[in-house]
This record gives sequence, C-alpha cells and structure tokens, in this order.
Amino acid sequence: MADTLPATRFNPWSATIFTVLCVLAVLFLLPTVGVLLSSIKTTREISMGELWSLPASLYLGNFAEVLGSPAVHQYFLNTLLVTVPATAVSITLGALAGYVFAKLPFRGSNALFLVIVAGMFFPPQVILVPLFRLFNGMGLIDTLWPVIIVHSALGIPICVLMMRNFFATVPNALREAAIMEGASEWQVLTRVVLPLSLPALAVLATLQFTWIWNDFLWPLIFTQSDDKRTIMIGIVNLKGQYSVAWGVQGALSLAASLPTLLVFLFFQRFFIKGMTMGAVKG
Amino acid sequence: MAQLQLSDLRKSFGTVQVIKGLNLDIADGEFVVFVGPSGCGKSTTLRMIAGLEDATAGVIALDGRDVTRTRPADRSIAMVFQSYALFPHMTVADNIGFGLQLRKEDRATITKRVAEVAETLQLTPLLARYPRELSGGQRQRVAIGRAIIRNPKVFLFDEPLSNLDAALRVQMRLEIARLHQRLGATMVYVTHDQVEAMTLADRIVVFNDGRIEQVGTPMDLYEHPANRFVAGFIGAPAMNFLPVRVTGGRLEVPGTEPTPVPPGKEAATELGVRPEHLAVLASSTADLVGEVELIERLGAETYAYVRVPGLPSDLTIRLPGETEIRPRSSIGLKIDWTRAKWFDASGKVL
Amino acid sequence: MEQHNRFWRIALLSLPLAVFGLFVVWPLFSSFYYSFTNWNGFDPDYSFVGFDNFAKIATDRLFLQAAINTTIWMVAAIVLPTALGLMLALLLDSRVTGARVFKSIFYLPICLSAVIVGQIWTWIYQPDWGLLNTIIAQVSGEKFKYAWLAKPDSALWSVIVAWSWQQTGLSMVIYLAGLTAIPGDLLEVCEIEGASPWQRFRRVVLPLLAPSTVVVIALSVINSLKGFDILYIMTGGGPFNSSDTLAMHMYNESFKKYLMGYGSAISVVLFLIALAIIGLYFRQLRKVDRIYG
Repeated sequence: MADTLPATRFNPWSATIFTVLCVLAVLFLLPTVGVLLSSIKTTREISMGELWSLPASLYLGNFAEVLGSPAVHQYFLNTLLVTVPATAVSITLGALAGYVFAKLPFRGSNALFLVIVAGMFFPPQVILVPLFRLFNGMGLIDTLWPVIIVHSALGIPICVLMMRNFFATVPNALREAAIMEGASEWQVLTRVVLPLSLPALAVLATLQFTWIWNDFLWPLIFTQSDDKRTIMIGIVNLKGQYSVAWGVQGALSLAASLPTLLVFLFFQRFFIKGMTMGAVKG
Repeated sequence: MAQLQLSDLRKSFGTVQVIKGLNLDIADGEFVVFVGPSGCGKSTTLRMIAGLEDATAGVIALDGRDVTRTRPADRSIAMVFQSYALFPHMTVADNIGFGLQLRKEDRATITKRVAEVAETLQLTPLLARYPRELSGGQRQRVAIGRAIIRNPKVFLFDEPLSNLDAALRVQMRLEIARLHQRLGATMVYVTHDQVEAMTLADRIVVFNDGRIEQVGTPMDLYEHPANRFVAGFIGAPAMNFLPVRVTGGRLEVPGTEPTPVPPGKEAATELGVRPEHLAVLASSTADLVGEVELIERLGAETYAYVRVPGLPSDLTIRLPGETEIRPRSSIGLKIDWTRAKWFDASGKVL
Repeated sequence: MEQHNRFWRIALLSLPLAVFGLFVVWPLFSSFYYSFTNWNGFDPDYSFVGFDNFAKIATDRLFLQAAINTTIWMVAAIVLPTALGLMLALLLDSRVTGARVFKSIFYLPICLSAVIVGQIWTWIYQPDWGLLNTIIAQVSGEKFKYAWLAKPDSALWSVIVAWSWQQTGLSMVIYLAGLTAIPGDLLEVCEIEGASPWQRFRRVVLPLLAPSTVVVIALSVINSLKGFDILYIMTGGGPFNSSDTLAMHMYNESFKKYLMGYGSAISVVLFLIALAIIGLYFRQLRKVDRIYG
C-alpha cells in the first residue's frame, strides 16, 4: 500500500493523486476567483475583456459604492431580521419535537416522525399558492413576517430529523438519572440533553442560517417594495437596474456571501463531526 | 431508613406479563440482592421501585406509605445505574450536587454537602474533573456520591459493577459492603453475578420468569434450595443433575448399582450433587466410574469434567489446586449422600 | 410515569405540530383544492372548474417540455455531483498532502447562494469576455463568441454544470465521513486476502458506503426538486422554455400569468412525482437499514 512505503521515497501514485487534485482545485476555485477579480475592477475593464487577468491596480470603488448605499444596508438588515429569528425558531421547534421522538416515543410516533421528515422532500412550490393566499388574507404580504414564518415552518423537518437522531445518542440512563434526582422533563431537556447536543445545534445553526440567508424564492414571492427585499433579491434587482454594473455586482455578491462563510468557519469544527453523527450514523 | 414492601406487584408490556405478582418485605437497613437470569424481571422490578416504570397492578409501600403512583423524585429513593449515568458536561462536583441544585438549595449548603460526600468517598481531589477524565472505579464512586448526598431512605443498584474489570469489581464490591455497614441504609441490588449476590446480600431474592423462586440468606439458599432452579442457579460451578428412576423401592442412577430408596425420596426423578460433594476414590468403592474429559486449573482449586457412561452430561467435580488427576484417566466418584438434593418431577426439593 | 410522559409529549409536541400543520400540511392539502378552481390570485371570487386544469396540463406543450427538462435536470443533478463527490472523497482519503486545504476548496461553493452561483456562472458563460469562451479562444487561436445560456441546445446543460460545481462539495464531505467510518481491519482483511484495489473498492468499500449514499441521494433529490433559484437567475427558463422545469413553469403560470388554479394543478403533479420518489427512496432505505441498522 502507498502509505506503508517510506515517506522519503518518491511515490508516483500519490504524486499523481496530488496533481489531479491540484488541477481540480484550480478548476473549482476559478469561478470564485472571477467574482473576487470582478469586485476590484471597474466595469469598463470588465467589459473590455479584462476580467480574467490579474489586476494592475486595486480598485475599491465597487465596494465603496455597495457599502455606502442605504438600499444595501436595508437589504442586509432585512436579511438578518429574517435569518436570525427563523433559524432560532426552527431549531427550537425541532428540538422540542425531536426530544419527544427520541426520548418519549409513543404508539405511532415513528409514523408521525416519518411524515414530518417527508416534508423535507417536497418542492416548496407545492405550497406556494395557498401560503400566498393565507398571508394575503392576513394582510402580511410585503412584510418580512411571512418569510420568517415560512422558513421557521419549513425548517422543522430537517431540525426534527437531526435533533431526534442526535438526542437518540444521549443514553436513556442520563434522562432517568436526572429524573431520579428530581428533574422535570423540561429540566432534562434544558440541563442535560441540550448541553450535550451542542455539536448538533452548531450544525443545524450553520445549515439553517446558510439556507435562509441564501434563499431567494420566499422573499421573491412575499415582498414587493424595495425596502422589504432581502440581499439575494437585491443582487438580482441590481442586475436589472444597470445591466452591466458587473464590478458592483461582484462586490455585493462577495459582501452577501461573507456572513454565511463566517458562520461556516466558526462552526466548521463541529460541522463534519455533527454531519457524521446526525446523518451517517442516524 | 425505611422498610420496603411489595404486594402482588405486576407489570405487563402490552399483553405480555413480565412480572407476575411479587410479594416481598424488605426490612429497614437490609441489603437485599435480586438475582436471576437475564429477562427474569429483576431489573424491571427495581425500576418499578424507583418509579421509572409504572406498576400495572399491586402496591409498593415505603415505611407503610403507598408510593406506587408517586413521582420518582418524591420517593426518597436513589439509584446507581449500570452505566453510572454521569452527566458528561458537568464536573464531579456538579454531578454530585445536581439533585440539590434542582431542589434550589443555596449554593453554600450544596458546596458543603458535596465536600462532605466527596471526603467520605475519597473524591475530594477529583471534584473539578469531568467524568471523561475519571477511571471506571472513580466514575462508580461519583455515581454513589450522587446517590448518598440526598440521604435517601432506599438505595437501588442496577448491576453497578458489570462495566468494571474483574479486579476492580472485587474492590468496588468491598466498598459497597463497607458503605452499607457505615450508612446502615436499606439497599436493593440487582445483579446476574451470583458471587456478588452471595458476598453482599443479607438476603437473596432469586427471580425466574417474572416470579420469585426463593428468598433467603446466601447460605440458606446454598444449603436448602427450595427447587431445582435455585439449586442450579446458586453455587459455582453449578450443581450436577443426575436423572434417577425409582422402581419397586429401588433407586436406579445410570452408571451405579441400584440401591434402596432413602425414606421420603420415593417421588425423586432427579438427584442434585454439588461439585464439592463429589469425592475421588478408587474405582472399587466408588458410586460412579467415569473418564476425565477436561481439567481446568484455577490455581487454588481445579475443576475436572468427568464423563460417566449412561449420564446425559459430564459431571463437574471440584478438586484441590494440586492434583494428580490427568485428562483421559479413569476415576471413581463417591457421592456425599447427606448433602445431595432430591427433586421430584415438578422440580421441588424432597 | 406514563401519565407524566403523556403530559410532556403533548406539551412539547403541540407547538411544532401546530406550526408545521398550519404552514406546511394545510397548504399542501389546499393546493389540491385550488387545483380545481380558476382563482387568479387577487379576486376573492373564483369558481370550480372540475378537472379542467388537469385536462389543460395534458395538452400543455410547455408542461411537457418542462417535465422532460425536470427529468434531465434531476437525473443529471443527482448523478453528477454524487459521482464527482465520491471520486474526490476517494482521492482525499488516501492521505494526500494538503487534504484539508483541498477539502475546503471543494466545499466552499456550498456556502454560496444559488443567486451568487448563478451570477458567477453567468459570467463564465458570458459570450464576449466569459472565462469559457476566453479559454476556447486561447486554445483554438480563433475568436469564439458562443452564447451558452442563450442557445436552447446548451442552456439547460450549462446550468447543470454550474449546479454540479456547487453541490459536489456536499457529497464529498458525506462520503469522506463514510470512508472514515469503515473499520480499518476490513481493509486489512482485503489485503490479506489479496484483493486488487479495484476489487477492494467495488466489493468492500462501495457497499459499506451505502449509508452515505443514502444520505447523499436524499440531499440531492431534495435540492434538485427545489431547483428553481439557479435556473431563475441564469436562464429564467429560457431561451424558448428550453430550460423550463416544472417548478419554474408553476411559478410562471401562478405569479406571472396569475393562473393560480392552473399553477396549483401543476404543483399537485409535482407533489405526486415527489411522493413517488419518496416512496421508492424509503423502500431502498429499509433495505439499507436491515444491514446497517
């Protein structure tokens, strides 16, 4: 085997793998590099076909324009106002239901669990029209409320699945020991099971935050006026406003991706671990 | 301190009855051990006493008070789990003090009580550690500490030593015995290991198939088993069973000469002889003659497995550590008839 | 205890179930209802039209086109990232230098939104200065100005490539986790038994990766059924509906033409397709469950 050979000897097999990976990595990075480059070039440079060359000088005008724009500030604020509560609510609801499915099963609980999880598989377009009518009736169209509510509800299947699978790995004896010590079920959940589930919570927080932050469909349907739009709609609107403001678009895309990248980096340590536990071992 | 009383206790899961009516009185300060094969209902009974399982019927009384429907936390009962069930995200101190924290005791009291408990269990230097950083024996002591801090009336132990290695098990067994001596508390202990049962118990309760087979002191069960099940379960290595037939006042044991039936044993269908009650003799005066199949040397003693023609299974005999007997050799065995047990067709001792 | 458990089950489940029921299950069934109406999205009045909407589906040329595209889209969007992700995972699992860096590079696109991925790849396919045409021009030495996203022949596949680029990292991560979970002694047995690397992969590693494959396929199905954002951004379903999918078609009919009744009928069909896939999937899952528990 390759790894049993002495490290000092030249190993053509691992060298080949390394080369292949390098080529693939360059191919994978190129698109992202494109955005980076566009954000520091003037629109004129780009339209002249200079996008893919290394920049002669660092042009920060795009960032200045994007970050100085009150409309962009509003986009970011709206996205935060949607993402943070919806992430928190969906995880909370998922934890409550997941706890019952993992620790207090009842006759038919597995079937109920499967029905909820199956909700994950349906294209959201299926419920688009009735939800539009519902929120229209409540007078909530063109506010952030429907977006928050729908994301909280649609996050329930994945959150229930992950929380149940993770809670199932917490030994039942811990719950029973806590009950013997006088803990109520609520105390078992908040003082024993949840503190032990931090990796799963981190994974879910990452997934939900990224998913809701990046979503395009729901704000597109439920909001209309520019001051209610989220950042992803903002990017698309910008494209419509000036069709060739590529540099500005690049800068805005980069700024819009930053929060999810930061969340990912912050939780990365737990991410792969939690992914394995929640998914593969589930 | 408390006495515990189970009256006609029953438990069913769906239509399957797993506990079929138990009656048991446990005296104040007594150490009672539940033994039995897996699935006999001993753990379920313990969990019903704890309140973790509902009793389907019957009464559990603590000091005369009916606690059958009382919440576990309000029963004054503490439990030590097989897996220790320590909270991995809490330090030793927090694990021990968890129950007091839940009762909203003030911080100073908790710290003081935890320190006292830790002192008696030699856990003081470990109070800031997390369970992962402890050895198996230390974890076990923390679990015990968590149980004793609340001064419960009854301690329940659910196979607490089965996750430990052999040497540590002996050591912890002694510690639990000492703990019982010091606290004088009522303790109920579940195990499938009959050595633990024999060494720890004031009284042993032998379970089988959801029923109590016999209750008695360890030596009582050893000397006077009520039936074939208890006789076979208590004692290691297990008792040898020889099929017998009584015809016309004469007793026939395969491989022996027919002898007159001892008085009162006319209904016997089986004879039980413990390995230590079979003596090795010259073939001429022996009751049974067989060939040694296997020898197991344990150091202080040696077990020999002897095949006797006509018997369905090998006989186990207990020998001193130093023995001349070799496999494949032929030996004679003398039964200690005064210690032998006679069983009728239903398994009852005659 | 049982009484206590019953109380907490109700207490803990009621809120999640209420939210899920009100905003997911109820709308799902309402879709069936609206699919028999001609509601236009704003009038309070509408009437029942029976099976008219479904009859219309049968004759809708655009629906047929969208259904074919959805099939192509789903098959490709499941197979490509899964295969590529598995390959990357196997390459990275051989303890190559810099594995961590490679992993992050391949995973990075997952963090980006469909909007941004769509935009990046729109630039790559840009006819005048896009990366793809620039490279082709460099290699061939001639001017090359093919408009990838504006030609019916290439539009859908161009989006599929962009989608695969984004999704590959996810299957790679899951397969990597699966590979680490394979007990080392099983691979040692292969070596002692004299299995070739291919035999080892085909007969031992791949079957043991089945639980990971289950997860990867599930996520791909979920993500690709939802495949809307990226198509909306890159092609809008065009040109000439050549990249229209059912989800796209449903959106256009409901929210562009305000035929919400007809749109609901399309979503009912979409729901039934999803239901069939889920049914198949859960059947496969049971088989995997028997082995891996």
